[in-house]
Parts: sequence; structure tokens; C-alpha cells
Amino acid sequence: MEMLRIENLYKRFGDKEVLRGLNLSVPEHSIFGFVGKNGAGKTTTMKTVLGLLNVDAGNIFVNEMPVTYGQTETNRYVGYLPDVPEFYPFMTAPEYLAFCGEITGMKKAEIKKRTEELLALVGLEGESHRIKGFSRGMKQRLGIAQALFNRPKLLICDEPTSALDPVGRKEILDVLLAARAETTVLFSTHILSDVEKICTDVAFLDQGKVRVQGTLSEVKSVYRRESYLLETESPEEARGLSEAFPVLQYDGGCRLQFDETACDVSAVLRVLADRKISVVKLERQEPTLESLFMEVVER
Amino acid sequence: MKTWNALMKKEWIEQVRTGKLMILSAIFVLFGIMNPAIAKLTPWLLKMMADSLAESGMIITDISVSALDSWVQFFKNMPIALIVFVLVEGGIFTREYQSGTLVLTLTKGLDRKMVVFTKAAILFLLWSAGYWLCFGITYGYNMYFWDNAAASHLLFSVIGWWLFGVWVIALMVLFSSVATANTGVFLGAGGGALAAYLMTIFPKLKTYSPAMLTEANALIYGKEEPAEYMTAIAVAAMTGILCIAGSLILIKKKKL
Ligand SMILES: Nc1ncnc2c1ncn2[C@@H]1O[C@H](COP(=O)(O)OP(=O)(O)OP(=O)(O)O)[C@@H](O)[C@H]1O
Ligand SMILES: [Mg+2]
Repeated sequence: MEMLRIENLYKRFGDKEVLRGLNLSVPEHSIFGFVGKNGAGKTTTMKTVLGLLNVDAGNIFVNEMPVTYGQTETNRYVGYLPDVPEFYPFMTAPEYLAFCGEITGMKKAEIKKRTEELLALVGLEGESHRIKGFSRGMKQRLGIAQALFNRPKLLICDEPTSALDPVGRKEILDVLLAARAETTVLFSTHILSDVEKICTDVAFLDQGKVRVQGTLSEVKSVYRRESYLLETESPEEARGLSEAFPVLQYDGGCRLQFDETACDVSAVLRVLADRKISVVKLERQEPTLESLFMEVVER
Repeated sequence: MKTWNALMKKEWIEQVRTGKLMILSAIFVLFGIMNPAIAKLTPWLLKMMADSLAESGMIITDISVSALDSWVQFFKNMPIALIVFVLVEGGIFTREYQSGTLVLTLTKGLDRKMVVFTKAAILFLLWSAGYWLCFGITYGYNMYFWDNAAASHLLFSVIGWWLFGVWVIALMVLFSSVATANTGVFLGAGGGALAAYLMTIFPKLKTYSPAMLTEANALIYGKEEPAEYMTAIAVAAMTGILCIAGSLILIKKKKL
């Protein structure tokens, strides 16, 4: 089942078209990485899902229910962590979480249990100061806790890790990973290593559209273009090879690079054997998400 | 109901912890004491100045003050208290729009109308508590020094002025669902009150203006009768309800 479906979404600010026919489908219990450059429209897309922005065209469904602008029923299924979360500065973290539970009608005992559980999860247990004095990282942690508080079906996090130090980032990624059992996570980021660490699915946003989307392995396999790196012992041997196979990219030293599609590997190997070239390294390179993203964005 | 309680509790904690409750209490208590004090001290002050006044040709004869003078002070000071109230509380909605705190509350899926209801309620409660506290203090001193019976239609007059404050709160709520910053609320509510005041200048319009409710001095001196205020009360009630209703509609599609 799809927890979130966006169909043909258009959104412009003045004469700036930010979203131009965006389609997105987030399967249930996935951890969905929503990747795009600065200003690609990630925050804009997320805000429309929460009914915080009016769309020019298109439909959005959360848990198969349509999202309407402004007051929207679908928000009952959603937990939201904005890019810069702001809380009531005069409350303490436990008070704020209790408030989150109370406004949605949770039972007192349940609120108490959930508060303790989540404060421990995000590493804010025993924090008795008012939120006024919290650092950005602490606010981010509290932000995750409040977003998860009501056990939402869909957790939307806008760049949850960008304000955090490497240790904090790992912790938050672990929290998201753990949340998967209970919910579906959609998070935006431009840190591709984060996506690679925890995501099951990924979508690349560029020029107002989702260019690529699917499970991590799907996306990688569709874009898999085996590339080989060959390193010889002496530059002369490398030069000789590049003369025999002009399609090889030669760096002028001992290294040659080539695509499987451009050149048959076995043909290269045969020449290596015939000429008794001493090979230092022959390596098949896995495509990284990073290289895929660059490819998508630059196309 | 749980949502209502939670939001009311949050508003209350905010009033207490951000010092707003302190400021409002101080103002209303201060005015409550000042009203009779000024009336009480007037003869004494004038006597002090009698000599210099006599030199300039003014003769002070014995003046007597009564509870009436204290009530005149009450109605004279109340606009200042109301202005302070609006200045202190004008950002009750817009502060949350600007900081983004309301986004988190609303994306939990609660009804936006609840926010309007609770914030309007807390404004109503604060204004009412402050106003009647101020009234009670002045009433007590007046009773001790003089006799409150000197003021005719006293209860009607104070209820009328209180109602005007409630009407201004309705304006605040309406403009809070339109404005993005508290200046918008000040301009809207202030503009509304000013317009109502300007209406009272024209005799034909006067009876329809909610601001007529602030002219309680004419009532306590017995120059006018409560019956003449009924139209103004009806207009204030109607427009006040319309403001709240409008706010409930506007907040639904309010951009946050
Ligand atoms: N309220 C607004 N008014 C005008 N333009 C806006 C508004 N909000 C966003 N934009 C524009 O829309 C574009 C997309 O913004 P958005 O915040 O969605 O990007 P993003 O992908 O979240 O970027 P980042 O990685 O920096 O957070 C930007 O060019 C921005 O200037
Ligand atoms: Mg953003």
C-alpha cells in the first residue's frame, strides 16, 4: 500500500515555477529518501503534503485520503519535523511532549510512558531546562520526539540531520531506522551517505520533477553502468593500451578507465595477456548514489 | 474537550511564565487603587496649591469629593488599561505564526477552530478578571470613603464598559486571523475602535456605535438612561459575534 501519493503536482511562487508535475509514491513501511539540491523544492513539497501550502494543480493522498489546503484531516496520520523546528520556549521538553499528547486526546498514563520512552530515545532524558535555552541539535532531537509522539502512520522529516554533529547524526539516523517498524518515514536530505545508510527507497528531485524513484537497489541497477579502472605498472604499457583501444580514457599516467558498454572487457584482458603487461589493479567500480545523483541532475 | 483543556493550559502557562499575567495584574490593581486615591487627594492637592492659585486670581472654595469623582477616574483610566491590554496581548496569535510554533501544533491534526476558541477565551478571561478586579478594588475603597449610591446606574455602566472591552477583543481575534504580525492586529483593532469613536461624534450615528458604551460618565451622573444604550449594545454584540465567526472561517485557509 502507498502511504503517500503525489500526482502531478504544480506549485509556483510568483513567476518562479518550483514544482512542475511532480509524482511521488511512498510505500508503507519504507524509509524514503527525498533527495534534491538546495532550492529544488523539497521543503515546498513537504509543506503541500501537510496542507501548509496551496498547490496550483495536482493531487496528494495520505493514507488514501486527499489532502486539502489549510485545515486537513490527513494531518492526523502525519508527524512532521520542519527544517527549523520551533517550540514554546517557556515549556520544558517533557511538558512540550505532554502537550503534544494532550491535544490529540491521549490518555494520561500513555502520555507519561510515551514521554519517557521518547526522551530516552532521542537522548534528552533528565533535561529539565526550558526549551528557550536549547541548542539547534537539542531542538532537532525534541523535534523528532514530538513528531513520533502520536504514533503517526507517516513521519515527514525535513533535513533532520543537517543541524547535527556526526555523532548526533548517526543517532538520529538510528532513531529513524527504528521508527520504521511502526511507521513510514519520508525524509529530505542532500547528504547521500545518509540515504545509503538507512533508506529503502529513494527519489531524486530536480527541476520540479522526480527524475528517478524506486528502491535503492532498483535505482542502482537501472543506472548501473559498469565501469572499470585499470592500472599498469609502467606508463608506456598504459599508453600502448590506449593506442590499441582508443575508447579507453587515458589519464596520461598509468591509469585507464572504461565503460563496459564502450569496450569489451575480455578483449582488453586478451591484449593484457598477449603483451604480458604487468597489471597493478583492475577494478570494477560500483556506482555510488552520489554519482547517480550527479548524473541525474546534470542530464 | 481534552484538546480544549490542553490548549487552555498551554495559554495559561504562557501568560504566567512570560510575565504577561504579572503586567496585566499590576496595571489593573494599580488603576483600581489610583481611582479612589486621586479622588481622595484632589482637595488636598488643591489646598496645597491654593496660595499660588490665589495669586493668579483663582479662589479655591471648599470642594467636596464623592464616590462619583472616583468613578469618573475609573472610566477615564479604563481606556489606558485597555490599550495596555491590547499591546500586551496583541501578539497572541501572530507570535505563533512568526515563530512557527503553531505549525507544529496544527500538523498534529487538531482543528484550527480550537486555536481560535481557546485564544479568544483566554483573552476574554484575562480582560474580565482584570477589569472586575479593578472594579472591585475601586468599589471597596469608594464604599469605605464615601457612598457608591452617589453614582446612578453604576452596574449598568461598568457592564457596558466591560462589554466594549470584549468587543475590542473580538476585533483582535478577527484581525489576528488575517494579519501576519502584531502590527496588523494593533492597526485593525485600533482602527475599529477609532472608527467606533468617530461615530459617536455624529449624533445620528452615535446610538449605533459600540464606543457609546464607554461614555458611562453620562450614565452615572444620571444625564442619560440605560435604554438609550440598548442599540449600541446590540450592535456591539452582533459585530462581535460576526468577528469571531469570520475569524473561524478565515483561520481555516490561513497561510502559516
Ligand atoms: N514562500 C516563498 N515565496 C517565494 N519563493 C519561495 C517560497 N518558498 C520557497 N520558495 C522558492 O522555492 C524554491 C524551493 O524552495 P524549497 O525551500 O522547497 O527548497 P529545498 O529543496 O527545501 O531547499 P533546501 O535544501 O535549501 O532546504 C526556492 O527557490 C525558493 O526560493
Ligand atoms: Mg528545505
